[in-house]
Amino acid sequence: MSGSAKPANRVLFLVLKLRAVLMLVLLLAMFTALSPTFLTANNLSILAKHVAISALLAVGMTFVVLTGGIDLSVGSIAGLSGIVAGLLITGVAVGGVVHFLPIWLVVLLALLVGALVGACNGLLVARFSVTPFIATLGTLYIARGTALLLSGGHTFPNLAGVAAHGNMGFPALGQSFAMGVPTPVWMTLVIAAIAAVVAARTPFGRHIYAVGGNERAARLAGIRTARVKGVTYVISGACAALVGLIIAAQLESAHPATGESFELNAIAAVVLGGTSLMGGRGSIGGSLIGAMVIGVLADGLVMLGVSEFWQIVIKGVVIVLAVAVDQLQSRVQFRFLTTLFAGKAEVAQ
Amino acid sequence: MSDDLILETRGILKQYPGLTALNRVDYRVRRNAVNVLIGENGAGKSTLMRILAGVEAPDSGEILLNGSAISLRSPREAAAHGIAIVHQELAVLPNLDLAENVFAGRELTRSALIDRTTEDRRTVSALLRLGKPMEAKTPAAALSLGRRQLVELARSLAHGASLLILDEPTSALSLAEAETLFGVLAELKAGGMTIIYISHRLHELLHLGDHFTVLRSGCVVGEGARGEVDRKWIVERMSGKAYGELSACAGATVGESLLSIRDLCVAPMRDDEAALQGLSVELRRGEILGVYGLLGSGRTELMETLAGARRMTSGTVTLQGKRLRLKDVASTVEAGMVLVPEDRQRDGLIPELSIRENIALSSMGGVLIDRKRQAAETEKLARELSIAAPDLERPITALSGGNQQKALLARCLMRSPMVLLLDEPTRGVDVGAKEEIYRILRRLAGDGLSIVFTSSEIEETRMLATRTLVLCQGRIAAELTAAETTDEALFSAASPHVVQTRDGVEVTV
Repeated sequence: MSGSAKPANRVLFLVLKLRAVLMLVLLLAMFTALSPTFLTANNLSILAKHVAISALLAVGMTFVVLTGGIDLSVGSIAGLSGIVAGLLITGVAVGGVVHFLPIWLVVLLALLVGALVGACNGLLVARFSVTPFIATLGTLYIARGTALLLSGGHTFPNLAGVAAHGNMGFPALGQSFAMGVPTPVWMTLVIAAIAAVVAARTPFGRHIYAVGGNERAARLAGIRTARVKGVTYVISGACAALVGLIIAAQLESAHPATGESFELNAIAAVVLGGTSLMGGRGSIGGSLIGAMVIGVLADGLVMLGVSEFWQIVIKGVVIVLAVAVDQLQSRVQFRFLTTLFAGKAEVAQ
Repeated sequence: MSDDLILETRGILKQYPGLTALNRVDYRVRRNAVNVLIGENGAGKSTLMRILAGVEAPDSGEILLNGSAISLRSPREAAAHGIAIVHQELAVLPNLDLAENVFAGRELTRSALIDRTTEDRRTVSALLRLGKPMEAKTPAAALSLGRRQLVELARSLAHGASLLILDEPTSALSLAEAETLFGVLAELKAGGMTIIYISHRLHELLHLGDHFTVLRSGCVVGEGARGEVDRKWIVERMSGKAYGELSACAGATVGESLLSIRDLCVAPMRDDEAALQGLSVELRRGEILGVYGLLGSGRTELMETLAGARRMTSGTVTLQGKRLRLKDVASTVEAGMVLVPEDRQRDGLIPELSIRENIALSSMGGVLIDRKRQAAETEKLARELSIAAPDLERPITALSGGNQQKALLARCLMRSPMVLLLDEPTRGVDVGAKEEIYRILRRLAGDGLSIVFTSSEIEETRMLATRTLVLCQGRIAAELTAAETTDEALFSAASPHVVQTRDGVEVTV
């Protein structure tokens, strides 16, 4: 009675586990073959910038989804943080005198606003037991409405800053390069790396998985489940705020409608990356791959000249398939692990 | 406070809507001993233990540890005082591996990162101490119930608990696994551990216990040391009756065959469920058939399948010669077979509705509800089952556990079924109401209703069943007449027999 999982099972398990990677490779190969300009440095740089934005949202979203929650407010938070930055760079009038803040403070405040909205989400979900879907749907509207109120519905143009005000340099956040790679891509990579370590190697990360796996059991084990859930929404909010800043910096302007339906892209990336919407299973790395799949798919279809309407349909099909396969994986995984480990546990005697 | 007490509670009061779970309980726990806590379902044992584990807070009263008052507002605080609990419903995180489970909430870190190496080492050594070496990276989902429990024990050991609470630890274990556990407990006691042990199995308690405390309806009704305590002492205090009164029910007269189950097979839906493998049984009119088995034996699965809440893979079920497809609950109820589910709060009651509406819930047909007729019918049933409520328009939550259970019974009876299925008919019901429910069920059987019930309580199975079916790992292990139904017979039939093969592998036969 040794732990010999059937080879067919083992192959199926691997294919399912690595499905996002396989999908990415397949898409890259397909678009390279079909479009001569796809695999050029210029296009890859643009692609990387697109991916960086949805990946950043997906990283924050992954933490939330791992606890079994969801964050619909990220797109609105991105819009709000851009507006906050726009407002502060354009100048704030206090007692008839217009004040200008240094860029580092502008960025910090905009991130804090995002974290604050996230904290509201966390409070609603963890303390007042509001369903995550409803709580973040509410803050989705509140954040978007606040962005419109602050801007009066208008765009803040010319965010390059003025030397005399000492607030130049904001666009660099979205437009500069380091070692030939766009700064936003670097930021996403660094943040994703930190997030991956936090998720996999720290007590906080393990608590997230525990809460998602069985919240009651986690609480009985002495884990502060409310705090764990709350913090994940703060992380997601801060990531979303950074996305808003990057977009505003890239465009050198802030528009109150920025980020609409971004939350759906982020959720799609997380799910494609193999994170279960029920919580407890998934990884940051998976979400990165998921974001890449979505980004490559979108850009590739544009380059092939596929109609915009078809693009939307195809994206929907891919997401639905991904979730269906996810269900299949959890069943196969259970069978596989049972055969693999049940044997070992017995033999160990 | 004398020195041999490690923990003492004074005047612990805990009330739930419609139920006083603990009524000023003074409970004493002796140091370095196995403290047995006994009581029927609903006596308040689990509530008391949840309070000691910091999961629930008492309404009033104090807890003294080594003579000084402590507060236990969270599992974390309880753990800091060295109190660890292995819950009746195991609190294992299925998506994490063993080391992650053992250190959940108390991770070991080195420079802010988890120290996996040390966690693995200490997990393996704790499991080794429990006599069941397993790999630290085994996912918890791949373990049997018995092994999951060992993981919880390992968790307590790894965190240096000095007071270990075990709430019905053997309800899920086979005889062999239970024997292993007893060995482990003896060793832990020798190592200075204090143990609080809760179980329904009298022979197990008498074998293990050093000190005994009996709870009844939220009060301590007896304390005794090993030597003063025997089976009679326990049963009398648990039930509040002299030993002789607790006779099994008289052999009822049973009629012709009503329900016939042939080669019933059901696949498990989750990893902790049993597969039913070829069950065949006849049920006669007016018969009360008990189904006894350990957790994971398939008893709940059998009840749910018969109720139509679970698909069977093969086999036939015929009621009065008519074959039932058991496709869904509605058509099974239509055919004359109804289930009173085990978990009243979760699967039974609709708390927002009145007592009347709860009773009439399954019997609302047609286009408009005939309120007058419905009221008359519910009134009649409520009287027959003596549901103690001044007014049936009151919310169902105003009733005590026993009366809620009777209301559910009334709901099923309103459909005038031929077969009544009861999953744990007296769970969370106080002793008086229990007796009453038994009387009602016997009367119904006398009127020609056939009843199938499962119970984890031996006394209940003995008192109620005219015939008992013992399940073990999804098969019928024994069929006992009322006279044959004894503790020993039930246990030995319900336990899988485990043998070791030459290469040391455990095989169940």
